[in-house]
Amino acid sequence: MEILTNIGINHYLTISALLFGFGLFAVMTRKNAIVILMGVELILNAANINFLAFSKFNGGMEGVMFSLFVIVLAAAEAAIALAIVINIFKLFKSVDVSTIDTMKE
Amino acid sequence: MHSLIQLSIAVLLLPLLSFVILIFFNKRLPRRGDFVGVGILGATFALSFYIFWSVVVQAYDPSFRIAWDFTWIDFGNVPGVGPLQIKMGIVIDNLTAIMLAMVTLISFLVHLYSTGYMAGDPRYGRFFAYLGIFTFSMLGIVLSDNLFSIYIFWELVGLSSYLLIGFYFEKDSAADAQKKAFLANRVGDIGMWLGILILYSQFHTFNYQEIFRNLADGKFDMSEAWLTAAGILLFMGCVGKSAQFPLHVWLPDAMEGPTPVSALIHAATMVAAGVYFVARIFVLLTADALHVIAFIGAITAFMAATIAITQHDIKRVLAYSTVSQLGYMVLGLGVGAYSAALFHLVTHAFFKACLFLGSGAIIHAMHHEQDMRWMGGLKKHMPWTFATFTIATLALAGLPLTSGFMSKDAILAGAIGFANAEGGGIYYLIPFLGFFSAMLTAFYMGRQIWLVFFGESRTHLKPADDHHHGHDAHGSHGHDGHHEEAHGVHEVAWNMRAPLVVLAALSIFAVYSPDPLDGAKGWFMKMIPTPETVVGSASGETEHQTSSANQNAAHLLAEAVPAGAHRAETDAHHEGVASETLHGDDAHASGHGDGHGHEFADPRQAAIAHDAHEAHNLAIVISSVMVVLGISLALIVYVFRVIDPDRTAQVIRPLYLFSFNKWYWDEIYQATFIKGSIVISKVLSWFDANVVDGLVNGAGALTRRVGFATGGFDKYVVDGAVNFTAFFFNTSGAVLKKLQTGKVQTYVVLLMLAVMGYFIYYFTQLIY
Repeated sequence: MEILTNIGINHYLTISALLFGFGLFAVMTRKNAIVILMGVELILNAANINFLAFSKFNGGMEGVMFSLFVIVLAAAEAAIALAIVINIFKLFKSVDVSTIDTMKE
Repeated sequence: MHSLIQLSIAVLLLPLLSFVILIFFNKRLPRRGDFVGVGILGATFALSFYIFWSVVVQAYDPSFRIAWDFTWIDFGNVPGVGPLQIKMGIVIDNLTAIMLAMVTLISFLVHLYSTGYMAGDPRYGRFFAYLGIFTFSMLGIVLSDNLFSIYIFWELVGLSSYLLIGFYFEKDSAADAQKKAFLANRVGDIGMWLGILILYSQFHTFNYQEIFRNLADGKFDMSEAWLTAAGILLFMGCVGKSAQFPLHVWLPDAMEGPTPVSALIHAATMVAAGVYFVARIFVLLTADALHVIAFIGAITAFMAATIAITQHDIKRVLAYSTVSQLGYMVLGLGVGAYSAALFHLVTHAFFKACLFLGSGAIIHAMHHEQDMRWMGGLKKHMPWTFATFTIATLALAGLPLTSGFMSKDAILAGAIGFANAEGGGIYYLIPFLGFFSAMLTAFYMGRQIWLVFFGESRTHLKPADDHHHGHDAHGSHGHDGHHEEAHGVHEVAWNMRAPLVVLAALSIFAVYSPDPLDGAKGWFMKMIPTPETVVGSASGETEHQTSSANQNAAHLLAEAVPAGAHRAETDAHHEGVASETLHGDDAHASGHGDGHGHEFADPRQAAIAHDAHEAHNLAIVISSVMVVLGISLALIVYVFRVIDPDRTAQVIRPLYLFSFNKWYWDEIYQATFIKGSIVISKVLSWFDANVVDGLVNGAGALTRRVGFATGGFDKYVVDGAVNFTAFFFNTSGAVLKKLQTGKVQTYVVLLMLAVMGYFIYYFTQLIY
């Protein structure tokens, strides 16, 4: 099992791509704004895996630092996004994004 | 300024003052202001008589002449014309002085007479105002020293004549007559103006004396024919104003005016203005122009005399007689009998004014009956009128012992002399027509006197349905018994009688000359000598070239000086007529004074003067015979009734009708000029309606078409472009709006697709 013994950067990138695909899929298909936010978290984490993978195979610490920044940003983003969702819910009595299309006008 | 000039300015302006006062204030003045007119004219006459006395009687100098002028308008140097300076001026010589006295005297008498004749007329005051402006204009003509100012006053008398002929403008006949007079005068005036322009174009002056001096100096650059043309054109003014053939038609119709007007304007003064004007320009008339003038005068005299024979209206007979006598004057000027023509002008003015005022008295007394067929027997009712009318008639007929005899005889002697000097042939027609007209004059005046004054009253013979009476009737004439029989006839009041007496007295020979057979011995012809021509006849041309120009001009100004010197010899000549006839031309050329006490440098004038003098006795005999013949014929026909006039008229019916219908001149003019004008105006009207209107309408239609075309362009192309732009963006907006769903996930999908598209593009680029 050469693959299992020699875990290279491709493995990391494959995992990250899958995770990004799932996140994007969730953002595009789900109707619930909370689940969309969860998809966004998946996308952010896919990016974190990429940072860490490149950091590991490049030998520097910049990737680690960036991933830490992304985690902090994700926390802040989640707080703001949830606040927006709560306000949307207050306004529309719903968090279903397919019904919220007043921007069209 | 000479004191006489100052006086003459006062004489000129006083009648104008009368006009201004009366035209504006006649209704506010007592008696409608007639005393203003009469008073002012009386003063004017007094001043004129003083001028006459100072000039003619005291100075007694044939070459007396004072002049004064001022620049009225100075146009500077007009491009294409040259220096244009219009001057106004006054000249007083013997002719002016005599005319002044004559015009103001007759005007004054007519004013006085009108206070009786026009009494009760609704426009009484206005009548005197018109008389005032007429007198002003006429005096302007008399006093003018240049062609321009005489033309102004010429038109002014035309205007006054127009106003006075149409004084009873309610009547169509009067309104038509005034228009006819004005238009006929206009035809002549156009010619006169062209003549003035010909002279002005050569000399750049309007002044008589300057023009004559320039002509004498030979400064006329154009051919002789142009000078003749100028003379004939200027004479056209006279043809119009003095009613000469072929423009005579207006004068008889002008009798529609009130009778005092006929006396003042259409017999004595205004119609004589034409003759006066020709006399003023006499010296510049060439021999050819004078021939034309002589023939026109002779034809006029004869034609009018033949017409006068058959007219029924008392004023029309006198009107045609006026035309005939004016023809004599023009004939006289044409044949070179200058003094005689002017003499006749003055004597005619007095006796014809007397005749017209007398006929006015008759018409007044007959309650506006003018037809002589219904008169008769007025002698015993109107003794004063009868006496004065008869004296004037004898003067008009030219019986010895009257003024008319002397002047007419002098003209006829001139005509014989002219025909002899010109070498006979066709030129004998002129004295022949003159003598024949003299006989006709005696005949028709005899007829008139008889029909009006003698016999029984024929008022009752008038057909009841004949409404021709009252040609001169004015609306509210306050006569009771307007339709009464002739027993209502009465002599007129003193204010109408006095002018008749004065005028009749002035028709006696003694006023003018001590010798009843020879006017040349009188003061008049001595004071008005025939001037020396400045153009010369064909044979005199060489002499003009040799003699110095200045000498010639000096001769013009001092021409009459020898006249006094030779005066003494004149009487001697008359006593020896037989020996006089033996005198050849050599005797005259050697400086021997001829019958007129006058020497002419021009051989043609000298020959005519010589022959005229020789013909003097012959003329006396022939004209006396003619007058006696005419009067006897009238007596035979109307008194002794040897020949019945009505039956004679039937026998020579075509001739009678020819005369009765005035030679058909009115009909001829109707058929030619009036119909012609109507045809021309119809053609022009057609042209206007079709061509000019067509152009305008075409332009309108074209504009409308263009308007519709541009309107269509605007509607379909410009609007279409705008609308299409709007439509395009509307449609594309509607399509693109679909992309904008407002749903977040749609945008995410689009974003993903865009990224994928980018990647696909990027990788395909990598592959190739």
